[in-house]
Formats: sequence, structure tokens, C-alpha cells
Amino acid sequence: MVIDTRVCVGCSACVYACKQENNVPEGYCRDWVVQESGGEYPKLTMENRSERCQHCENAPCVTYCPTRASHYAEDGTVQINRSLCTGCKACMAACPYDARYVHPEGYVDKCSLCKHRIEQGLETACVSICPTGSLNLVDFNNMDEKTKELLKGKIVYRQKEHAGTEPSLQWISASNKPGA
Amino acid sequence: MLATAVNEIVSTKINPNVVPHLHIWEWHIPLYLFLGGLAGGLLVITSIMIVLKRKFGIGPRDQGDGCPCLAVRIGSVLSPTLLGIGMLFLFLDLAHPLYVWAFYTTIQPTSPMSAGSWILIAFFPLAILQAMLVNKRQLRGFNIEPINKVIDWTENHMTIVALVNAHIGVGIGIYTGILLSFFSARPLWSSSILGMLFLVSGISSAAALMLLLAPEDEKPVYSMIDANAIWIELMTVGLFVLGGLTGSANTHGAMMHLITGDINLAGMSYMFWFWGIFIASGLVVPLLLEFLEAAGVHIRFPNVAPVMVLFGGLILRFLIVFAGQTYHTFM
Repeated sequence: MVIDTRVCVGCSACVYACKQENNVPEGYCRDWVVQESGGEYPKLTMENRSERCQHCENAPCVTYCPTRASHYAEDGTVQINRSLCTGCKACMAACPYDARYVHPEGYVDKCSLCKHRIEQGLETACVSICPTGSLNLVDFNNMDEKTKELLKGKIVYRQKEHAGTEPSLQWISASNKPGA
Repeated sequence: MLATAVNEIVSTKINPNVVPHLHIWEWHIPLYLFLGGLAGGLLVITSIMIVLKRKFGIGPRDQGDGCPCLAVRIGSVLSPTLLGIGMLFLFLDLAHPLYVWAFYTTIQPTSPMSAGSWILIAFFPLAILQAMLVNKRQLRGFNIEPINKVIDWTENHMTIVALVNAHIGVGIGIYTGILLSFFSARPLWSSSILGMLFLVSGISSAAALMLLLAPEDEKPVYSMIDANAIWIELMTVGLFVLGGLTGSANTHGAMMHLITGDINLAGMSYMFWFWGIFIASGLVVPLLLEFLEAAGVHIRFPNVAPVMVLFGGLILRFLIVFAGQTYHTFM
């Protein structure tokens, strides 16, 4: 996924779309919105961004799962097999992004990158609802021209890269905005 | 002019500071880690006492028929019992306890939780065998055929059983710390000395428990073990704190969060629990009391020191588990 923070307005539509699509129980969330402001008046900057599981290529949640419940799916995403999850919470302690929570039904849950929708050829709920086109579903192994154009010449970062988890989400920094 | 610059993060994420039920581990896990450490420590001390007596003739008098002294007999029974109780808390902590079988369908070498679930199972057979052998006179009194047979087969090998158990005990003690220290996402836990700290703390707590239970003539040996373990524990906790303080901004911050933290735990700040309850009343004061007692000074309430050590050991587990979670994740 490529998240273009230049155009994110922090509306949280992605959060509510996800909650409805995935029946996320009240008091929990699979994705969330962060607003980061910094600098010194009058030179202040602000970045809005929608965050979720990073579907790491070297995911500590998979490494530390004692039962293989957390695993890599064939498409490279990180998924949870609910019928193997004991709810020991080792994956939650291991995640540097705090992307997971214990579902009240007794298993650990997180963003599945709407696997059920992607399999039907649809986009994820958050991507489909995003009113500004900030969220873009991208296959990094097979990047289309539109994505290449989107990323071209921009400052793009990944979160906590030094954690060594090889996160699969990329952010186009708000510092790319004119005048920033 | 960096000093006046600001950086403010506002998040719609629901987090444990707002919603307490999002904490990863609550009271079950520290209690389990304490009981696990105690069980490991008891196994180490009782096994070494057995080997020392049988191979070198050191230690309190045997009680006849090859049964060791009373404290070793009680300690050997308590070790698997306490681990069993600890595992019950571990079980209760699972969000889906009925799926506990899933731990035993696979061995995941990279998962400390998987290794731990297997170590816990491996602990019991020999620990229970030792508990049976040291109490064989009483057990034979019940005259239960299968138990008699097990004792007949193994009673000449008690030293070997004890020798293996000493290692298993060390393994369990270290494991209780390693379980946390593998999580590099939690800066406070991410210290390899945590395994040693929990091991020594388990041994000092176990020695304190045996000191409480031992008859008068056996007490001096456990007091000596306890004092030595406390001394090593003080050194180890010192290294743990220094390692944190001299680490990166992440580990430094996490250590400061523990040792100077103002987060409230049962009415007191982390800082007060750490220095006042764990270091002062859980280690330094009992060490002084036991030293004075060994030097011949009359202590009016000799049971106070071991109780303080046990309470300190329990508080250490609560502090580490909670402070590791209330500090922000790896940055």
C-alpha cells in the first residue's frame, strides 16, 4: 500500500469503512488516523496519515507466534488463523507498530488487508472509501505506471525501518507538498 | 532553536492508556513468572543440596532411609506444585484457553513462547520423580503398587536425577526472563541480562521460602544461600539498570520510565516500588538482617527477612511486566 499523506485530510473514513466491513467490535480498531504536527511557529508542518498493520516481510508477530496462527499468506500479507490462535498475545508484544488487539471472541485480530475483498478483485474497504485518493493499493512486485508516476521524485518513507521488519507500507511524506 | 520546536502526535488509535483492556499482559503473567522463578529456584537448590550431601557429605543431616533433610523434601514437592499453579495463571491469561492444545501441535524454534510451553512440560516428569524419591519413606507407607515400582526402579539414581534437575531448574529460571527479553519491540524488556536477573531472583526467593519452612537446625544453610543470591541479584539488577541507562535513547527512556517513573501502580509510583520496595526492602534490608543474624546478633522476628525477599521478587515481576508495556513501543 502507498499512502499519500499530501492529500490525507484525516477524515477517518478509512477507519469507519474498515470497522463496518470487518465487523470490528466497539472500542477496537484495525486502522487509525495519526496527525503529526511539528516545527517552530510560524514554520509549522502537519502530516495526516492512515495507519494499520504493515504486513512486514520479516514480521516479528509470525516469528514469535508459538502455534503458526500468525503466518504469511501466499500473496505475502500477514494473516491470522483464528482456529490456531490461543490468544497468548506474544505477537502483540512483538509488534513494533502496535497493530494488533485481542478480539472479545478470544483471538488476536488486526488488518487483513481485506483479503476476502482482494480475492474477489475488489479493493480494500479503506482504499475504496478514501475521498482524496490518499490510500493506494499497490503490488510492489508488479508496479503499474500510475504508481510509478505517483512515487516519482517524492520523499517516500517506511515506518521504523530500523526495526528490521521490512514493512510493506510506504508513505509519501507531507514534506513533498509545495511550500512545506 | 531546536529547543522551542514542537512535535505533537494526535492519534485516533485506541490504546491501552485510554482503554485498559488493550494491555497485553496483566496480573496473571507477572504472577506466573514469579511462581515459575520460584519453582526453578526450588528445584536448583533442592537438587544441589541432594548432590552435595550424597557426593560430598555437605549439608544438613539426612532423615534416614536415604531421605534428605526436611526442607529439601518440602522444597522438592513445592517446586512442581508452584509451577503447576503458575501454569494455571498462564492458562487463564490466554484469550482462548480451550485452544491451549495448539501449543503442542508444533515446535517453533524462533518463538520463545513455543520453547517455553515445551520446557514447562519437560520440567514435570523429573521434578515429580525427585519429589517422590525424597519422600519415598512416606510414599511407601501408602503402599500403592505403581508408585512403589517407580521408586524401586529409580531410588539408586537419585543423584543423577538431582543433577539433571539442577540444570532444568536453571533453564526454567532463565526462561522466565528470556520470555520477555526476546521482544525487541519493548525497549525495557529487550535486555539479555533479564534472564539472569529472573534466575537469581528466583533462587533468592526460593532460598527465602526454604528458610521460612526449614526447621531451626537447617535454617543457617538457607540463610547463607539466600544472602549470597541476594548479593548476586543486587549486582545483576545494577547491570540491568546500567545497561538500560547507557543504551540508546529508546532503552534509556524505558529504564528511566521504570526507575524514576511516576506511573501509578496500586497507589504508588514505579519509582517508589522499584527503589523502596524492590531494592531497599526486598534486597538491601533482608541482606543486612541475614548478615547480622549470621554474625550472631539476635533478630527478634527472623521470618521478616525471607518474607521481604519473597515480596520483593513478586514486585520485580510486576514492575518489569507493567513498566515494559506502559512505555511506548520501539521507536
